[in-house]
Amino acid sequence: MSLKKFSELFGDLDSINSTNNKVEVLKNYFLSNDPIDNSWTIYLLTGKSNKRFISGRYLKNLFSQIYDYPQWLIDTCYLKVGDSAEVITLLLKNKTNTKKTKLSNISLNELLSETIPALSKLNEEEKNLEIKNLWETLPEDNHLIFNKILTGTFRVGVSIGLITKSISKLINIEEEIISHRLMGDFKPSIDSYEFLINKNINLQELNSKPYPFLLANTIEDKIFNSSINDFQFEWKYDGIRMQLIKRSGNVSLWTRGQELVNESFPELVEKMSYIKDDFVLDGELLVWNFKEQIAFDFSILQKRINRKSPTRSIQIKYPIIFIAYDLLEINGRDIREIKLENRRIELEKYFSKWKIKTQNNISDIFKICDLIFPKDWPDALTYKEKSRENNTEGLIIKKKTSIYSSGRKKGIWWKYKVDPMQLDAVLIYAKGGSGRRAGLYTDYSFALWKDKELIKFASAYSGLTNIEIKELDKWIRKNTIEKFGPVRSLKPEMVFEISFEKIQISKRHKSGIAVRFPRITKWRKDKKINDADSLENAYELMKKIS
Amino acid sequence: MRTKQEYLIRYKDGNLYCELADIWIDPSKPVKKALITHAHFDHFTFGCEEYISTKETAILLKERVGDNIKIKTFEYGEEFKINGINISFHPSGHILGSSQIRFIFAEEKWLISGDFKLQKDQTCKQYELVKTDYLISECTFGLPIFKWNESNKIANDISKWITNSPEKTSLLFCYSLGKAQRLLNEISQTNFKGNIYSHGSIHKMNNIYRELGIDIKDTIKIENKKKIDELKGSLILLPPSLSKGSYLKNFKNIQTAFASGWMSIRALRKRSGYDKGFAISDHADWDGILEVVKKSEAKNVFFHHGDSEALSKYLVEKESINVLLFGK
Repeated sequence: MSLKKFSELFGDLDSINSTNNKVEVLKNYFLSNDPIDNSWTIYLLTGKSNKRFISGRYLKNLFSQIYDYPQWLIDTCYLKVGDSAEVITLLLKNKTNTKKTKLSNISLNELLSETIPALSKLNEEEKNLEIKNLWETLPEDNHLIFNKILTGTFRVGVSIGLITKSISKLINIEEEIISHRLMGDFKPSIDSYEFLINKNINLQELNSKPYPFLLANTIEDKIFNSSINDFQFEWKYDGIRMQLIKRSGNVSLWTRGQELVNESFPELVEKMSYIKDDFVLDGELLVWNFKEQIAFDFSILQKRINRKSPTRSIQIKYPIIFIAYDLLEINGRDIREIKLENRRIELEKYFSKWKIKTQNNISDIFKICDLIFPKDWPDALTYKEKSRENNTEGLIIKKKTSIYSSGRKKGIWWKYKVDPMQLDAVLIYAKGGSGRRAGLYTDYSFALWKDKELIKFASAYSGLTNIEIKELDKWIRKNTIEKFGPVRSLKPEMVFEISFEKIQISKRHKSGIAVRFPRITKWRKDKKINDADSLENAYELMKKIS
Repeated sequence: MRTKQEYLIRYKDGNLYCELADIWIDPSKPVKKALITHAHFDHFTFGCEEYISTKETAILLKERVGDNIKIKTFEYGEEFKINGINISFHPSGHILGSSQIRFIFAEEKWLISGDFKLQKDQTCKQYELVKTDYLISECTFGLPIFKWNESNKIANDISKWITNSPEKTSLLFCYSLGKAQRLLNEISQTNFKGNIYSHGSIHKMNNIYRELGIDIKDTIKIENKKKIDELKGSLILLPPSLSKGSYLKNFKNIQTAFASGWMSIRALRKRSGYDKGFAISDHADWDGILEVVKKSEAKNVFFHHGDSEALSKYLVEKESINVLLFGK
């Protein structure tokens, strides 16, 4: 089985829109391939790891060096294509030897387990020579895949859900089981593939793995017609969603991105191991402000996440807490099929038991989420509006009779987010987009007034429709004042409504403020630039919130 | 060196113009005298007093503008004189009847490339190399990321695309003049032996090509679009304008593709909204443009119809060719 087949699969998946057809193509691919190549295929398609062997910049420099090609020309091409791996693939055309070599039929496994890892053992000069050699001997059809794997940018429109579906169809086993088998670490090997397609279900097998996460949907109006008593209300924390697992005495922390993060939070692992029972908890990890009993901003949490093996002083500076909101398994018994209201009773019962048994030793790092009890829907709205005061994003509304299924199933969990803050700002810079938006100006910077000057305050990429993007792109090209590389400064003329979630003082920005998740919510064609907001308006907004 | 005003051919009101002969090349506004390189809509306009072109272009032009226009025709290579300037048409390999136009005046040669390609195309005359002092070239695909595959390879990909989905109707969008006929010619040489249908606008052009002796397969004209869903396993050629708007919403059982040089870029493919893209073009790719610039032996080169910044810089830096800018 060869890399060629994988390249074909990539091409097919890239050009098929229908989910059913994608599943069918995948199923047939798995059927006709070696287990080991299938295993690598799943590894790549699910984005289990996108290790970067070399950077896109390095790839471009290398091509320029080897073929004596002007760097600026590659950069110009990049603006059109938006992906280093693809630019180099297109430029490499006709540079390849058409002779048959031993690489003509290289398997995915050989490439990923031998050829590419071998590169990192070479010194720079040898490495460059080897990449050149690979470029010139690998069949042309495989260049894109090869360059993408090298630069760690392999991505295709296939979700884990699709892989799950196709494997499930292949062996006729429920998707839930496959999805559970795919959770957590996936080391590409014959064994891991055979485990995945094993027709016999053995519950022990899933021991080290988290359950597929249940996700919340954005609230829909129809919910307001149901009785408020049908739902459980919680604050929506802005932390890291996690399953905290203790099985056979071992604690493991799994993020929703399916990463095992025990090393980053050793104090939590240690304290949870004081508990005698085995369990699986679903909850949120936060950096906690113990004085005020609210969470710190996500930006503070980020400082913690980025540290593997944090020192004691970091642990004290950024104290974490795990807030559990669900109990999925207790002492080996999977209770996901029990109604939420009864799972909550179990959760509360065990939590108080654990507190007593550990003599409160766990309380400074572990608690269960408080519930909110609005009288009616208008009252729920009031709670939602208050959520900024305790640094939460709004409410999570859960159906009391629901079981814990997987994925973003409708009608079980809803998120009711607090309305964003908004300012009207003037477009002053645009930059070329990448990926699917290559060749268009899609990255924008916006400014607010300070006296008679426009000061940049936020950059945003999302929110416009494709038609609006094209229209704005045309306008940008016609109204450029100056070009600096990929960036253009623009005639101040266009006003946009920018929405964001948080606003705070920042010394790093000229404007003196920083906003979180800025996005475009409206193109205010009805407004002139003099109607745009000023920095003063932004400061007022900040005061109003804090 | 002469000033811009003294060039034999220059830009005026966004069009190529030769003052000495008082003649325009592919003008976008009605003028007295217009030389037409080929019959694509962006290369001519209605209402000129007189058109001059090759015989094939004249026939296609009449189909599009109407029978009552005044049009003079010349064979490829045949020289004619206007105000002492020798003018001639030469095959440009773009579509049927397409031409480069050469001007000779006072021993100075000017060549307007028109739209051109070097690739083989059995539905029109092969590009002819013409030497010149001044070259005015198109550069639609003037970046090195554009390198075309052999057209028979693309035709085989199209054939596979159709036969791999026998339960669907395959809709291939392409320009109705030139591209459609070239595709028909290529596809009929592949393994795909099913029915081929074409939209009225394409069907009309097919007939003209056939009358002019070009060997292309007979297609069935789509009379009733409601039936498209039922034409499983068949290929239908449609003009790109139909892919926008509501036309496609009528069908459930289709797959769509677009045949265009732009489809060699994944981002454009994804954004196009078609299921698939086939990178085939009737314009020269990067290597094609470079080859023509070099082999024409032109000392001075102008570019139009495209983003010429990178191409110009490359020729100046790497090939020491003098690239000039038109004052627009």
